[in-house]
Amino acid sequence: MDLSSIKQSVLLGDAEATIAAAHEAVAAGVSPSSILTDALIPAMEDVGNLFACGEYFVPELLMAARAMSAAVEVLRPTLARSGYKAAGTVVIGTVQGDLHDIGKRLVAMMLEGSGFDVIDLGTDVAPEQFIAAARDNDAAIVALSALLSTTLPAMESTVGALRAAALHENLRIMVGGAPVTDDFARRIGADGYAPDAPGAAALARRLVGPHGDADAN
Amino acid sequence: MTGKERIMTALAVKQPDRVPLYIHGINEAPIIGIGRHLTDGLPEPRQFHEMDPGEKMKLLNTLFLLHEEFGVDGFTSFEIGHEVEIDAGHVKDDWGIVYARSHHGLPVAKIHPVRNAADLDKYAPPEPSRAHLLLLDMGRERFAGSTALFWLMRGTFVRSWRLIGMENYMISLRADPEFLHRVARMVEAYNLQQLEMLAEAGLDVLVVEDDIAGTDHPLIAPKHFREFVEPYNRHLVERAHALGLKVVRHSDGNLWTLIDTLLDSGYDGINPLEPQADMGLAKVKDYCGDRICLLGNIDCRDLLPDGTPAQVEEAVRKAIEDAADGGGYILCDSNSLHPGVNPENCIAMFQATKKYGVYPSV
Repeated sequence: MDLSSIKQSVLLGDAEATIAAAHEAVAAGVSPSSILTDALIPAMEDVGNLFACGEYFVPELLMAARAMSAAVEVLRPTLARSGYKAAGTVVIGTVQGDLHDIGKRLVAMMLEGSGFDVIDLGTDVAPEQFIAAARDNDAAIVALSALLSTTLPAMESTVGALRAAALHENLRIMVGGAPVTDDFARRIGADGYAPDAPGAAALARRLVGPHGDADAN
Repeated sequence: MTGKERIMTALAVKQPDRVPLYIHGINEAPIIGIGRHLTDGLPEPRQFHEMDPGEKMKLLNTLFLLHEEFGVDGFTSFEIGHEVEIDAGHVKDDWGIVYARSHHGLPVAKIHPVRNAADLDKYAPPEPSRAHLLLLDMGRERFAGSTALFWLMRGTFVRSWRLIGMENYMISLRADPEFLHRVARMVEAYNLQQLEMLAEAGLDVLVVEDDIAGTDHPLIAPKHFREFVEPYNRHLVERAHALGLKVVRHSDGNLWTLIDTLLDSGYDGINPLEPQADMGLAKVKDYCGDRICLLGNIDCRDLLPDGTPAQVEEAVRKAIEDAADGGGYILCDSNSLHPGVNPENCIAMFQATKKYGVYPSV
């Protein structure tokens, strides 16, 4: 079955149309996991590309992510029964001392739109909270956000604490936020940096991909 | 020329006697760090609300003093007294917006009192209060006409999203555009009313502070900006001009897709021209430097926190080379002198402006 109507609905940020198209596909015998991996996730990749080239802006990202989430909620019971596994769990939060939420929430939405389970710890998150959440949820990735240059030291110490906790060797750490740069990410020992929300979703997919952290940074 | 004459000349895109120096925003820590070069008895850096009355007066005096001693030509003021403390970590402003206090700078809006049209039907916006202009009054008394008086006024986008929530604003662009227009009209009415008070109080330069862009793109589509934001801000520009004021537009980020709209609104200046957001001075000067005064661009993200005074001096020299030709450039940093900047670098920026900013006499 042609899944383009699902993709188109996500691109338009139309949650009702996305749900309707997903129902239609299920009724036609398309598996929920195929709807997710062949339509919803690629649609969000397209949304990310449109954002990167300046055709889409934050509202369009939000609307698309909401449409995708609404469809995933519809599919979730069947997905769970079919043994579908998410791309991994990402624990995300804004580092200690930093109260900014908006950019981090956008990244969380884009990660969900890329097939990750996301645990959002909010803002002003202490290193031990990141460690506990990553351990308790067997996280594949911890994502750290900071908006202020004065909270970058907290980002560095959080990366250090996560490394020292040695949760598991495959745990990946990604960082982002206005003052963060690729150089800074490398210097503090993060596995990757992305400049915006769609970039973060693409980075997360690379980090959990077959080559792990290769070329991710 | 006095500092005020210098600033007003540059904002008219003309050449003053030297490149004017301005501080758009400055936190407690750099006031204290810079101030220690000028005066004794300053408290350890902490937030204003944590200081006792004597320390607060000392801090304000030091703020004035550093403008005088380093020849800063413009003084920035903003509303004070419009917030009440809810608890040690939170304040609420007169719009009902609740902010979490931050040890790293300005409070962050967390609770937004108006979520939808039904909320708005019941909502009573605040009235601007003359008492909240106290900092402007103090600046006017202290500088006695020698320094241009600036006022930071939150613009339509920032006031609107703080009132209704950023995500809600974004969703409402499609879900309920009339709701956004109603909020914008309410914000505009408040701002226009406050503008009358400001002009009466002796203001020289209105700064419409309305961050609308990230490092690469605007936060909202240019078509939405042209519909929901700029028409309302433009009314501020028009009224301010009628009152004899100059108007500077402040927005972080990459403004290239909005710049023609901003120019069309008639602003006299644009700030802060972030180097990391492709707002390099040479490029902006080339595009519109004959139509609008440029304010900013000395990098406060990397250079002022982590660079050396020599690097800052070179950045100032280059900024003047790129933007000051023929006038229409006011030197300041690329956003604010925040708690992370090195005070020695700020002083280097002030001194280098004097060293390299003198125009040849005609």
